[in-house]
Amino acid sequence: MRATYFLPRDLHPAAWWLWALGLAVAASRTTNPWLLLTIIAVAGYVVAARRGAAPWALAFRMYLYLAGCIVCLRVFFRLVFGGAEGTTILLRLPEIPLPAWAAGIRLFGAVSAESLLGGLYDGLRLAAVVVCLGAANALANPKRLLKAMPPALYEMGTAVVVALSVFPQLAESVLRVRRARKLRGGANHRRLRALHAIVIPVLEDALDRSLRLAASMDSRGYGRAALVRPRQRVATGVLMVLGLIGVCVGGYATLDGSTPRLLAGPVLVLGVVVGLLGFHLAGRRVQRTRYRPDRWRPPEVVVVLSGVGVAVTLFATSTVDPTNLNPSLLTLSWPALSWPPLVGVLLGVLPAWLSPPPAPPHAGAGHDAEEVSA
Amino acid sequence: MTAGPRRALGVVAAVLVVAATAPHAHAVDQSRGRPGFCTSDTGVTVVVDFQQLGGTTLVRCNPQATSGTGLDALKGAGFQLAGTQRWGEGFVCRIENRPSAVEEIPIEGDTDYRESCVDTPPASGYWSYWHAANGCAWEYSQWGLKNRAFIQGGFEGWSFSLNATADTNPAPRIAAVRPGTEGQPCGGSSDEGRPSSTNPNEQQGDVRPNPAEQNSAQRQQPPPGGTAAPDTPGPATASGADPAALPPPKPRPSAGTPAPAPDPDHNVAFAGGENAPDVNEVLRQQSGASRYAPWAAAGLVVLLVVAALLTARRRGRARDS
Repeated sequence: MRATYFLPRDLHPAAWWLWALGLAVAASRTTNPWLLLTIIAVAGYVVAARRGAAPWALAFRMYLYLAGCIVCLRVFFRLVFGGAEGTTILLRLPEIPLPAWAAGIRLFGAVSAESLLGGLYDGLRLAAVVVCLGAANALANPKRLLKAMPPALYEMGTAVVVALSVFPQLAESVLRVRRARKLRGGANHRRLRALHAIVIPVLEDALDRSLRLAASMDSRGYGRAALVRPRQRVATGVLMVLGLIGVCVGGYATLDGSTPRLLAGPVLVLGVVVGLLGFHLAGRRVQRTRYRPDRWRPPEVVVVLSGVGVAVTLFATSTVDPTNLNPSLLTLSWPALSWPPLVGVLLGVLPAWLSPPPAPPHAGAGHDAEEVSA
Repeated sequence: MTAGPRRALGVVAAVLVVAATAPHAHAVDQSRGRPGFCTSDTGVTVVVDFQQLGGTTLVRCNPQATSGTGLDALKGAGFQLAGTQRWGEGFVCRIENRPSAVEEIPIEGDTDYRESCVDTPPASGYWSYWHAANGCAWEYSQWGLKNRAFIQGGFEGWSFSLNATADTNPAPRIAAVRPGTEGQPCGGSSDEGRPSSTNPNEQQGDVRPNPAEQNSAQRQQPPPGGTAAPDTPGPATASGADPAALPPPKPRPSAGTPAPAPDPDHNVAFAGGENAPDVNEVLRQQSGASRYAPWAAAGLVVLLVVAALLTARRRGRARDS
C-alpha cells in the first residue's frame, strides 16, 4: 500500500487545481500579512517539492515576479495618489497642484505609514492569489486537465485550457530564446536590440505554436459538430452560459462578505442547477471516450482535502475572530495573529510530503512526453 | 524561484520595519486631552455616548486653541477611533473599539450583525455625529467629521444610533453646557462651523473644503445598506486641491435659531475615560491573538523559503546531470 501510494506519478490535475483554489480562497479572505506570506511560502514550497520538468512547471518564477510587481505597484500608487490617511507621516513630497475639475485627486504630498501599509496589505492579498494560481499552473498538466473535462464542457474547456496555458508557454518561450541567445554569444548587444532579438522570436514562436495546436486539435477531432438540431444547441448553450454566470456571481458574493446575502446562496444554487441541466443536455449529444483516463486515488483526495481545509479554516476563523484577518491600520502596530488561522494555512503544505513525487521525464510517462512535443 | 521571493520579502521587511519604528497610539490616550468638560472658552468638549451599546458615556476636553476639524477634536481629546476600510477616517465606524468586531448588534433585519468596518455601516447602526455651541441644544451635523471646524468653547458629540431614523436619531445624553455656565443663553452661533483655514500647506490640524470628501464623509443618513455610497477614488480622497479654486461648501438651511440646551441636571452619568482599558489590549484579548504566533509565522516563512530554494537547487542539479 505504502509503496504504491508514493510511486512516482503525475497527480490528477484537478486535484492540484482544487488545492490551489483552496489556498487562493483563503488568501482572498484576509489582509493579514503574516497569513498572506505564509500562504505564498506554502505554495512556493509545494511547487518546489512536487513540480515536474515540463515547460509550464518552470514558469512558476514568472508568477513570483508578477506578484512582486503587483505589490510594488500598489505601494507606489499610494505614494503617488496621496497617502495621507493616518497620522504617522513618513515623508512629505512636494504636492503637484491640480485644476479644480480634478478635485479629490491628489498627486504626491504627505505620505503616511498607514496608507503605505494599506497598499502593501492589499497588494499582498492579490499577489498571494496570483502565486496560488501560478502554483496550480506549475503543478497541473493543462493538457491532461483538458482530458479530464466532462464531455459537455469540451468547447468551453478547450478555450479555457488554451487561455490558461498561454502565459506559461510565453514564459517558456522567453527562457528558451534567451538561452539560445546566450549560446550564440549575442548577449553583449545594447539593451534595446536585445529586447528586439527576444520579442520577435517569442511572438513567432507563439504564432507557430498556436497553428500547431490548432492542427493537432483538428486531427484529434476537436470542434466536431455532432448531428444536433440548431434549436437544441442554442438551448443548451443558453442554459450553460446562464448557469456559469450564476455560478460566477454566486461564488463572488459568497466569497466577498460585503455583498448582499441574497446574491450569495440562492444565486449560487440556481446557477449550479441551471448549469447542471445544461451539462446534462449537452453531454447527451457528445459521445467521446478517453484514452487512459486519470484516476482519482488516495493521494488526490489528500491533496484536495488539504486545500479545502485551508479555505474552511479561514472561513471558520473569520466568523470567530474577524479582528485578526483584517488588521486595523489606525493604530500603527505589528499585525496580531492567532494560532487557528496560522495552523489552518499550514495544512496546505501537507501535499509536499503526502503526495507522490512527479514522474521523472522520459521514464514511465510516454504519452505525456509525446503530448508535450505535439 | 531564487530571486523572486527574496526580493518580495525584502520589500515587505523594509515596510514592516518602517511601520514598527513608528510611534504607537493608545486607547483613551491620556497624553492627549483632559477628562471631563473643558473649563474655559478655549478648546472643545467631546462627548461620546454609547447609547444602547452600553457603557459609561465619556466626556473629554480637547484644549486645542487653534481651529481644527471634528476629526482633530475627536483625536485631540484622546479618543481612539477606527474608520472603515473603504472610506478611511472619513467614516468613523468604531470609537473606543465599540461596536467591536465580536459584538453582536441587533439591527433591523439582522439581529446578530457584527461591524467589520470594511464598508459603510448600515443606516440602522452607526455613530451619529452632533455638535453644539455652549448652552445650545445638540444639532445633527450636516457635514462629515473631516469637513467641519469645531466650535471653540463648544461641543462635539458622538452618539450610537441603533435602529433610528433621521428624525429619531438619539442626541448625546449630556447637555452641551460647560459647568459654571449654566443659565447663560445659548451663546454663539452653532451654524455648520464652516471650514476656516485656507492654507493648503498645513497637513494636519487645518480644515480644507473638499467637495469630493463630503461624499465619503459621514452625513445625516448613511446610504442604506452601505452600497449606494458615491464612487470616490478610495483612499485618494484626502484633500489636496487648491482650496482657493474650490467653492466653499454651502451650509444647509438649519432649523432657524438654535434651541437652548436642556437642563444639565438630566445628564446621564459620565466618566472621563481615565479607567478605560487599553484598546490594543482589549483587541488582543478579543481576537485571541498570541504574542508568539507572528514569530512562528515569520520563522515558518523563512524556513519554507529556504527549504524551497534548497529543493529547487537540488532538483535543478539532478535535471542538468
